[in-house]
Amino acid sequence: MILASIFESGVSIQFYIVLSTILFAIGVLGVLIRKNAIIVLMCVEIMLNAVNLLMVAFSTYFGNGDAQVFVFFIMVVAAAEATIGLSILVLLYRNNRSVDIGLFNKLKG
Amino acid sequence: MVALIVIFISGLLSLFLAFAKKPWLVLLTASAGLIAGGISLFTQFYYQYDFIHYEGLKFDGFAVAFGLIAILFTLLVVLTGYSSFKDKPQHTGDYIALLLFSLTGALCMLSFTDMFMFFLGLEILSIPIYVMAGSNKDDVRSSEASLKYFMTGAFATGVLLFGIAWIYGGTASFKLDEITAFIYNAEGTHSSLIYIGLLMILSAFLFKVGAAPFHFWSPDVYDGSPHIVTGFMAAVVKLGAFGAFMKIFSVTFAGLHDFWAPALSVLAILTMFVGNLSALKQIRFKRLLAYSSITHVGYALLTIIVQSPDSAFNLWAYIFSYGFSTIGLITVAIIIHDEEDRIEAFRGLVRRNPFTGFVAILGLLSLAGVPPLMGFFGKFLVFSEAITQYPWLVAIAIINSGIGIFYYLRMVILVLQKEDDDKPKTPRHKVPVLQMIVLAICALALLFGGNMLIF
Repeated sequence: MILASIFESGVSIQFYIVLSTILFAIGVLGVLIRKNAIIVLMCVEIMLNAVNLLMVAFSTYFGNGDAQVFVFFIMVVAAAEATIGLSILVLLYRNNRSVDIGLFNKLKG
Repeated sequence: MVALIVIFISGLLSLFLAFAKKPWLVLLTASAGLIAGGISLFTQFYYQYDFIHYEGLKFDGFAVAFGLIAILFTLLVVLTGYSSFKDKPQHTGDYIALLLFSLTGALCMLSFTDMFMFFLGLEILSIPIYVMAGSNKDDVRSSEASLKYFMTGAFATGVLLFGIAWIYGGTASFKLDEITAFIYNAEGTHSSLIYIGLLMILSAFLFKVGAAPFHFWSPDVYDGSPHIVTGFMAAVVKLGAFGAFMKIFSVTFAGLHDFWAPALSVLAILTMFVGNLSALKQIRFKRLLAYSSITHVGYALLTIIVQSPDSAFNLWAYIFSYGFSTIGLITVAIIIHDEEDRIEAFRGLVRRNPFTGFVAILGLLSLAGVPPLMGFFGKFLVFSEAITQYPWLVAIAIINSGIGIFYYLRMVILVLQKEDDDKPKTPRHKVPVLQMIVLAICALALLFGGNMLIF
């Protein structure tokens, strides 16, 4: 009953903003800290999903559907990016037998 | 709009014509498509016709002027890269098609009217280049450059989208003119959402154009990618990113100029110094070019900081002159074909291949900004516009041009010097006809283009 009443009254926009900011921060921290390239890729996806959540929340708040269409575009592009990213990783794995980003240090100076 | 479709279809065609294993057919299709695209872009603007109406893209004077040089640079890059593309006949179509697809992204980024098309254009511009950067599959360095470019690019996209979402939260619109109107109407009473969004979009742009402190990817990526891709990134990708930068910041966010201009001017100074001081000790040519491009981004940022009706033209002229010198130099580097891409390989070039050496010297002097050449006029336009509003910024930029002359002239001297007597002499380089044409176009543009810019 309590859950149902929360859904009916609607959650105010601030909570969505805070939640998506936290998600975005988790994504950014993951990109900066993690060493495994595949996890870095997943963290980029988390960032994009934080954006999706924020857009949909604002869209509902303003009552216009622009941002909901935008979210579909973001999903499509995120899929394309993941494809490219994974194929680049396969290419690197063939040379290095590892996807640890600490090993990719041939270019420096 | 017609130009976009023509270029995209010629890209698709060249992808499929590659099955015929005749590289020249692909080259012909791509060049014809590019020239037809350029003509349709111009005539559509000149006669104001519109077969296909889509309100997300608007080809106004700005978009057409920038779009034409983007097409011209792509044509030059395709011509100069043909000699290395045709070594792998099964992939010629892929390489050329990816460059053309990236160009359509650049055209979207120059003509968008809402954030949808801006975001899509940015991705269409970037994704083919992620692939192209790693196109030299046997080379570990090329794959690594590809990964680095992809990771930073995807990260920047995430930040950009988050910024767009905040701007949407503040203004309830994705359309640029509605955002502009909202910012002007609510002078001084904006919600903090807009400011956060603006800073995020700004940092994403600095990532894309490669300005300090977000420049660290660009030397690695320029160094690792094949020469052709480096040339394309320096000329066309930078042009697209700068065009969108100018559209969003000088037009849409012009009402918040007092907020972002101080930050951007400090970053421009930082960019110039970082680029110049790091370039001083480079021994590899593409890395030098990357740091020099960072410095040039610093100069070009002045056109965005300064609010004036001529800013768009100045940016256009600057990128025009910069692109010709980079493409010329990249062509020379391809002709020299040094495995390790050392600057030392340029030694004695003018004695081996007089014309190639001559173009190399023209390109270097134009980057340095020596008067009769086109690079000087680009710099002159930018600095003379900025000097009334930001004299201290121009003073720092001129000091930086002075530092820059040091390493450009060092290379010019290398090109002019005799080779060491005790070492075996490097044989004369063979120059394919197409690259000769590109070199001739670059030389003509660098020598006489500057006077055209002034009139």
